[in-house]
Amino acid sequence: MNGNVLFDIQGLKKNFGEVEVLKGIDQKIEKGEVVVVIGPSGSGKSTFIRCLNLLEEPTGGKIFFEGVDIMSKETRANLHREKVGMVFQQFNLFNNLSVLDNVTVSLRKVKKMPEQQAKDKAMALLARVGLADRADSYPSQLSGGQKQRIAIVRAMALDPDVMLFDEPTSALDPEMVGEVLKVIRDLASEGVTMVVVTHEMGFARNVATRVLFMDGGVIAEEGTPEQIFDHPQNPRTQDFLSKVINVI
Amino acid sequence: MSTVANIFANYYQYFLRGTRTTIVVSLVTVFFGALVGCVIALLRISKFKPLSAFAKLYITVLRGTPLLVQLYIVYYQLNFIHYPSGQFLGVELARVIPCIIALSLNSGAYVAEIIRAGIQAVDFGQTEAALSCGMTYPQCMWNIVLPQAIKNILPAIGNEFVTMVKETSIIQYLGISDLMYNNGIVVTSTYNPLPCYYISALIYLTLNIVLGKGLNIFEMRLKQSER
Repeated sequence: MNGNVLFDIQGLKKNFGEVEVLKGIDQKIEKGEVVVVIGPSGSGKSTFIRCLNLLEEPTGGKIFFEGVDIMSKETRANLHREKVGMVFQQFNLFNNLSVLDNVTVSLRKVKKMPEQQAKDKAMALLARVGLADRADSYPSQLSGGQKQRIAIVRAMALDPDVMLFDEPTSALDPEMVGEVLKVIRDLASEGVTMVVVTHEMGFARNVATRVLFMDGGVIAEEGTPEQIFDHPQNPRTQDFLSKVINVI
Repeated sequence: MSTVANIFANYYQYFLRGTRTTIVVSLVTVFFGALVGCVIALLRISKFKPLSAFAKLYITVLRGTPLLVQLYIVYYQLNFIHYPSGQFLGVELARVIPCIIALSLNSGAYVAEIIRAGIQAVDFGQTEAALSCGMTYPQCMWNIVLPQAIKNILPAIGNEFVTMVKETSIIQYLGISDLMYNNGIVVTSTYNPLPCYYISALIYLTLNIVLGKGLNIFEMRLKQSER
């Protein structure tokens, strides 16, 4: 199985000043897995996922990605991030660029792909999420759901080895959550490796191959969706799930 | 009103000559001020502490002391430099160069703060998204952050340019025959100061209206291309 390990995370710690947000996380994430991270706010879920592409610099422990220590001085963060796509809660589409350019800019500037080739690739990807007709629009002209689908396309354009989703539907109006989750679900069914932080428990149960429950900066419990949602062992997991699932 | 017209009719050469100097000095100063401002702004946002500390000190000192004092300090401090002799558009280079240096250094401090504020007003999520797409920090700045920052920067920098045109009037104290210097000459020969100051005020106003219109057109162009 060792050849399939994408992330090997050992004793990962992160402090913000005096506050210890991550208190030592050990995880192996393998190719093809869909790892869903749930937990109360402030438990360190976002910080954890942001450490994986070095948007947060870990303060302790080690992260190996495809066997390479990404925290060593020799590793260039930008090269690592090319292989790790990221989708943000607030979409963060580039406001100064059209939809098409949002998708092609990293292909052209980072991958040095010829303009026409980048455009063809972007259009094909946009068509897959049903937004090819919005290629010339600007982000300010789009709905939240459209923005997030384009943000996913933008991240996928670089053919990443793994996709990170940081609460991708939390900033959306309720009726737009479905369209975004569908895109993510489609990617999952195609075998794209992903780590998803989410509060959508139904989605987590359906899509996850493994669920991590985080609380207080540690992974308090992990298991298959059935184990976590139907038979949680940890009292904190039980408490959290009773609060989020039984609300009307 | 007729006195104003009268004095202008008789002494317009002085006013025009002064205006020419003011325009030349203003344009050169605005250019170098913007250049200095960009450099200081870059140092200011640098993650390398000594550079940003230097920029911070620079801005504090230049914003915290009067321009007139800076002008004299630059003039006397740099007197070891052999400025090129000769004239350019009626301006004596050896005198005007220290003035331009002082004004540009001063303007640079304000421009730097405008640029920094404009960059920091761009949502940090834009930077994070660009980095997460594999861009290096310079690529992210150039392709994503600066094009958005420029829209925050332009209106404020227009103000700074207008201010600079007006502040060039202090170079008269070093004997540069700018508009105010020539204004003084006309005052002493007519013994009638008020109309002279009206004429000068009108000329400054005209210069700044033209400058403002130019900047407006530039801003509109940018808005069209970027929405």
